[in-house]
Amino acid sequence: MRKHLRRWLAGLLLVILIIPMSGCSLPGLAGSGDNTVRIAAQNTTEQQIMAYMIQGMISHYTDLDSTIINNLGSGNVSFNALKNGNADISSIRFYGTDLTTVLNEKFERDPATVKSTVTKAFEDRYHMTYFESYGFADTYAWMVKQSYAKKHHLENVSDLKKLAPTMKVGIDQIWQNRPGDGYPAFQKDYGFSFGTVYPMQLGLLYDALASDKMDAVLGYSTDGRVGSYNLKLLKDDKDFFPPYDGSPVATDAILKKHPELKPVINRMVGKISLKTMQQLNYQVDDQLQEPQTVAKAYLKQHHYFEGGN
Amino acid sequence: MKDMGLFSQLIYYFTHNGMYVLNQFNLTFLVSIYGVLFGAIVGIPIGIWISQNRKLSPIIIGIANVIQTIPSLAMLSILMLGLGLGQNTVIATVFLYSLLPIIKNTYTGMLSVDPDVLDAGKGMGMTRFQVMKTIRIPLSLSVIIAGIRNALVLGIGITVIGSFIGSGGLGDIIVRGTNATNGGAIILAGALPTALMAIITDLVLSFIEKRLMPKTSSEN
Repeated sequence: MRKHLRRWLAGLLLVILIIPMSGCSLPGLAGSGDNTVRIAAQNTTEQQIMAYMIQGMISHYTDLDSTIINNLGSGNVSFNALKNGNADISSIRFYGTDLTTVLNEKFERDPATVKSTVTKAFEDRYHMTYFESYGFADTYAWMVKQSYAKKHHLENVSDLKKLAPTMKVGIDQIWQNRPGDGYPAFQKDYGFSFGTVYPMQLGLLYDALASDKMDAVLGYSTDGRVGSYNLKLLKDDKDFFPPYDGSPVATDAILKKHPELKPVINRMVGKISLKTMQQLNYQVDDQLQEPQTVAKAYLKQHHYFEGGN
Repeated sequence: MKDMGLFSQLIYYFTHNGMYVLNQFNLTFLVSIYGVLFGAIVGIPIGIWISQNRKLSPIIIGIANVIQTIPSLAMLSILMLGLGLGQNTVIATVFLYSLLPIIKNTYTGMLSVDPDVLDAGKGMGMTRFQVMKTIRIPLSLSVIIAGIRNALVLGIGITVIGSFIGSGGLGDIIVRGTNATNGGAIILAGALPTALMAIITDLVLSFIEKRLMPKTSSEN
């Protein structure tokens, strides 16, 4: 009889120990606790900087915990994380990209139309709130070295027209055959083509330009290497490349559960300019600083966007 | 930045991001420890159980073996479908991988206990529970710890890969180093602490293992 009792007690103890473990988060980890906000970030520098900034803002203004789900492969992966309830906030999303990839709508150039279509569709179809932009737009931009620009008096993309037939240019692989705002449409709109075009991986473009292997490349306007190599961005004078304004997106569920989140995220709206983003990216990509370190320092320096600025 | 040597870049990195690295170090360590802890909670009783029911042992160890053959990245992705992104999935993966070394070592430890000592215990009129508590478990403890040691070193490796499903940790630093221009120093900044963690846990547990080595065997 005693033996049986002991066995039962041991079993009971085990069950009592295990049940709370499966329910809540483990000590030391901000897992899936009830008060934890999960921020999804992709594997690019600016995504991670902004994710840490959101985290910094949340811990400064609220009592909520937050954790970052890092290194997601693409905009689609991070969107699905939100859709499936694995994450609550996506650190940066772009109207232009979401229109064609997530919503599968037809390409559209007018920024206002894109913005309203995407904002509405995210709310209606997926119950997610698209916030206003942080204030920077990530877009494709033609860039050249400062010396090259000075020598040929380059300011706008149209200025390339005369030089184009003899130029060697590097472009992002996916841009070459992209419908809507790809190379074919570019040739039609600007009315010229380049002598030799080298499609390559995005990260290699800047190095290729800096080491004079290319005359011009088509890169991302916010990339930190624009700053580190001191490249000249040419003005898109025909408004060919749609601006991809970067905005945070949050699920309606989390905003409803923690109403204090919305004003906190709104504080960041319009506060990060293209120049700022480039500088922050530069500190991470070139100055051996972690996105978290950079984000924290920036928030502190700007007093967590208290008041107006 | 580029004209600094790799070593001074590394020093520079640590002075600027020390707290961050420390946090990621803790995170990696905790995730692997939790996975192995759950593995031990489940694995040790199973190991004891199959040592008492020898017929079951090929089936149980076979299942644990099959789990072990799945590549860790595949396992992470499979579990991700059910458990979603984040640390919990990585803990579950570490748990599954730690089952085999822990079950197998517990089983071997139990069977390698000297039958003479067991007979002596039985002769003294010990119950099965007493034999287990005072003879089998103490005598096989060092072998069980060796299993946990294997599991933990394996677990640290898996946790680093877990960075790909968003669990954070030192793996994040390594991945970021591969994306940055001249990221050599950043890769090292992630890889060195990882290696250090594996080596230190291995040394500590091997020390414990030696301390627990039974001194009651017939030779001395």
